[in-house]
Amino acid sequence: MDTAAQRDGWLAAIAAAADAAALTAVEARLFGPKGEVVELVRSVTSLPKEQRPAFGKAANLLKQEVEQALAQKRETFAQQAMQQELAAGGFDPTETGARPKRGVLHPITVVQNELVDLFTSLGFRWEDGPEVESEYFNFDALNIPGDHPARESQDTFWLTDKNLLRTHTSPVQVRTLQRAVKQGFQPPLKVIVPGRVFRSETVDKTHEHTFYQMEGLVVDRAHGEHGISVANLIHTMKTCLRVILERDVQVRLRPGFFPFVEPGFELDVNCPFCSGKGCSVCKQSGWIEILPCGMVHPNVLQKGGLDPEEYTGFAFGMGLQRVVMLRYGIDDIRQFTGGDLRFLQQFPEVSR
Amino acid sequence: MKISLRWLSRHVDLTGIEPRQILADLTMSTAEIDGLIRFGDGLEPLVVGHVRKREKHPDADKLSVCEVDLGSAGGVVQIVCGAPNVAAGQRVVVIKPGDTLPASGGKGALKIKVGKIRGVESQGMICSESELGLSEEHDGILVLPADGPNAAPIGARFVDVLPVQDWVFEIDNKSVNHRPDLWGHYGFARELAAIYGRPLQPLPAKVAFPPAAGSNPGIKVDVQVDDKQGCPRYCGLVLDGVQSGPSPHALRWQLAAVGQRAISLPVDLTNYVMLDLGQPMHAFDLRHVGKGPIRVRKAKANETITTLDGQVRKLTDQDLLVCAGDKPEALAGVMGGAGTMVAADTTQLFLESANFHASTIRRTSMRLGLRTDASARFEKAQDPANAEHAVHHFVRLLQQYCPTAKPAGPLVDPLGFHYAPKTISLRRARLLQKLGVRLEDDKVAAILRSLAFDVTVTAAGFDCVVPSFRATKDIAIEDDLIEEVGRMFRYDNIPERPLQGVQAPPVRNEELFLGRRLVEVACLELGASEVYNYSFTPDALLQAVGAFEHAYVQVQNPVAPEQTRIRRHVLPSLLGSVGQNLRAHAEVKLCEHGKGYHAEMRDEHKLPHEVRELAFVWSRRDGAHPFLELREAMASLLERVGRPAVMARVWHGKDQPWVHPTRAVAIDCDGSPVGYVAHLHPGVARALQLPVTTAIACLDVRALLANGRSVARYQPLPTFPQLPVDVALLVDEATQVAQVVEFLRTTGRKLVKDVQLFEVYRGERLPAGKKSLNLTVTLGADDRTLTDEDEGKFLAKVRENAVQIGAELRG
Repeated sequence: MDTAAQRDGWLAAIAAAADAAALTAVEARLFGPKGEVVELVRSVTSLPKEQRPAFGKAANLLKQEVEQALAQKRETFAQQAMQQELAAGGFDPTETGARPKRGVLHPITVVQNELVDLFTSLGFRWEDGPEVESEYFNFDALNIPGDHPARESQDTFWLTDKNLLRTHTSPVQVRTLQRAVKQGFQPPLKVIVPGRVFRSETVDKTHEHTFYQMEGLVVDRAHGEHGISVANLIHTMKTCLRVILERDVQVRLRPGFFPFVEPGFELDVNCPFCSGKGCSVCKQSGWIEILPCGMVHPNVLQKGGLDPEEYTGFAFGMGLQRVVMLRYGIDDIRQFTGGDLRFLQQFPEVSR
Repeated sequence: MKISLRWLSRHVDLTGIEPRQILADLTMSTAEIDGLIRFGDGLEPLVVGHVRKREKHPDADKLSVCEVDLGSAGGVVQIVCGAPNVAAGQRVVVIKPGDTLPASGGKGALKIKVGKIRGVESQGMICSESELGLSEEHDGILVLPADGPNAAPIGARFVDVLPVQDWVFEIDNKSVNHRPDLWGHYGFARELAAIYGRPLQPLPAKVAFPPAAGSNPGIKVDVQVDDKQGCPRYCGLVLDGVQSGPSPHALRWQLAAVGQRAISLPVDLTNYVMLDLGQPMHAFDLRHVGKGPIRVRKAKANETITTLDGQVRKLTDQDLLVCAGDKPEALAGVMGGAGTMVAADTTQLFLESANFHASTIRRTSMRLGLRTDASARFEKAQDPANAEHAVHHFVRLLQQYCPTAKPAGPLVDPLGFHYAPKTISLRRARLLQKLGVRLEDDKVAAILRSLAFDVTVTAAGFDCVVPSFRATKDIAIEDDLIEEVGRMFRYDNIPERPLQGVQAPPVRNEELFLGRRLVEVACLELGASEVYNYSFTPDALLQAVGAFEHAYVQVQNPVAPEQTRIRRHVLPSLLGSVGQNLRAHAEVKLCEHGKGYHAEMRDEHKLPHEVRELAFVWSRRDGAHPFLELREAMASLLERVGRPAVMARVWHGKDQPWVHPTRAVAIDCDGSPVGYVAHLHPGVARALQLPVTTAIACLDVRALLANGRSVARYQPLPTFPQLPVDVALLVDEATQVAQVVEFLRTTGRKLVKDVQLFEVYRGERLPAGKKSLNLTVTLGADDRTLTDEDEGKFLAKVRENAVQIGAELRG
């Protein structure tokens, strides 16, 4: 059998294939139905029996050789193709794809959630109270009797049924105390109450009639000489502000008057915009008022059902919009209730 | 309220302390300060000149040409002056060319140049008080004393000659609402004396008045107080020999520095005393009061008085009047009556220094919208002792400026004031308990004494006698004393300390956490954006959604007349947010988490029933209706919070007319309704100009909470591969998907692992009234791999039995 010429022709055809397509054509010619190699192997059947083993063996060897040459050539083309692909130019790193359609949380929700996470990690309960509130809880129980000037300064929305829209989250102080006492008071009590409050103000860039506060209340038994003290208040507030404002804040505590605390304070943080040097945001003082707070007034503890001789506590309130505005540099408070997605979608981050 | 440093310095020596430091220390111990202003800033270049000669301007009748000697400050110069009062021999205030007159009274700063006025050269300007920003006086130039001990030296700097420049602290009034004693300079001086440990000058000694009885009782106007609650004290005094012309410069400028306009000496002095001691006074022209008697009584309902601003005020029987006889002369504690004030020719005064009841004055002033310096002070509860101090203070000052003035009769003070000093015990242990810092007894006692408390140190602590000026309002209990100690020690000096005690995990308020999780999943996973809307729903919106007639909690004093109603449900306000957003986006997905109030149901505190809802509106300008997407979003949302929903029946709610009456699905959890998902009612869509392709949903968070959370159960994974089979069934329009799914499950028995609808086809190629439900049925067995034969058998059975539900297997 003289297959040498055939062999050389096949190998030459493989070697001559210019690209993968040409190689595929060669492969079809050799190994397809009625392919030349296939035919050669099959031709064993037409030989006398005694020649078949030798021919078969040689034909198979030849077939393997051709297959191998084919595979090698294919690999060469695959390598070439990959090199080409790797060397390809024309790639635009700024070309965009389809954006996933995604929603956003309201920025006040984001900040409120962060505060809730922070305070619950400090052992505070997250509580809530009604927005439509009674005069009793909003005022009387908070040491603000009928003719107290503080009532007027709060610009209350009164309702036709003699109730009101709560002017602060503080009514939840007495509500929570009363409920806790009813259930058999287990000190310490630590709660936060974020929520919506209302003051009858004309709305403009810096004033809103609907806004968001977070109340905090801590009450514990006075142990000997130690009860909840101003020292605890300072520590708790500093801890909280460090986390929210993401910096090592300096705070100062100065007198502030609120009927439901005694003594009462205003807590200021050093101005983030000028590092305390004085700028327009802090009105040149270097400080920003952020947190009214104080020691719970004995009358409030009493209204909550506790003996102020046995228990002491502190309370604080924080304007959530203020924190959000400070964080994101928002200068128009009306945006929060404007319902405009072009505003809301500017704050895609979720609570840290 | 403005507080002047120069003024404070009359009561306490503040030398060596920078104004900024005072601001900082007052802030940390006493009150909030809004600002610090330099009064008379920029007046440094002005010098004293001597008018040597004055001649009429050759070309202008009203102008004078003056030869002014500026001494060492500039020699003799020629200045053209337009003031009518300029005259030779005067000492005047001159600004020279090259210097700048500071801005004042709305006029900008003025740079002075040598110029010609009607052809005559003028080397500077002789200034009036108004040009200096010291008063509104601009009838003529300011004339300084030319001789005597107070003569202004020629060439001297004006600001060195007269007390003009001052530092003025702007106090945030709100921060001293609870401190009646801080409504005048003396109170702030007392605070500073305590802060710096410097002595406070005592109030001036009392004046001796002519005796009430005896040979010559002088002029006396009797005082009769009918309403002793409304007027706890009334001091009246007649003064004679008064000159009622303008006040001297120093007094005028002192008042100007704190923003008080000068009027005439007697009136200026009442204002001065008020700004000093916090005690409002009123000086009546005696001619107006006549023989009296002065009567303090409640007004009659509908009685009127014309106040000195010319307004006729209609009164109620709650208002308090000061009358001469029965004729109203003043709205007590708020404003005097028209025509009662001192005139230029007034020589006899009736001076009122009274104490009025805080709430009475506040109510009147609030109701009439008439807030005055007097009402602002009385409503803080002034110390009745101050009423008498003020009279003595006034008389001393008056005599200083007008030596001819003298009390014409006795001080009439029918009620007097008998202060029974209150003693409050401050326990040492309590002080430590609340401040959290241990203070030495000496320190505590020194602080309290510096604030005029009389302190006795006892075994338990400190017995403190409260001075009358702190007793009307702010110091009532032990904790008030703790504040006094704390603020003077400075809260900033208290070392911080972490909370102590048991750290048990806080009790979870499940409702709040569930609400939060729902919103997070809705926004972060399902693509909704959270908005906040007001609780007030505009009437027009309620009318558009057909809910205007429902029972609402309503505001008495709304921000706008059409916004009285507090929402019952969250959805209508959320619908209100859609339109504006659809202008910018082809599709919007909004959600809102909030509360609604139902006026017709009340709790034990008579508060309206509260609901907490999570509302959704998904809307597209055009294209496919988003209802089914929202429906599946609700299913997915509720699975996320462990409360899988069943949505199998039409929702029939009563009080939510914005829901499509037939295309609404109830969302049930554990067999109870928790909400709905629906098409927006087409009528509401029309009224709000929203596309009909708007889907809505509402979840009642409390209803969801009432059903427990279900924890997922593990299912072993299938051992043998499953076989998905697509089935298309032609059914009547009325046939529900759930029926077909049930049919397929029944037909395939336990081989059917899952059935999912992937398409509902309606089209021309189908017979009328028919639809094709295209579903994927997943077949599987626990013990073998299914074959084509199993699929064939299943489909054959479906084909055979389809008639049971009036269906036909397609293809």
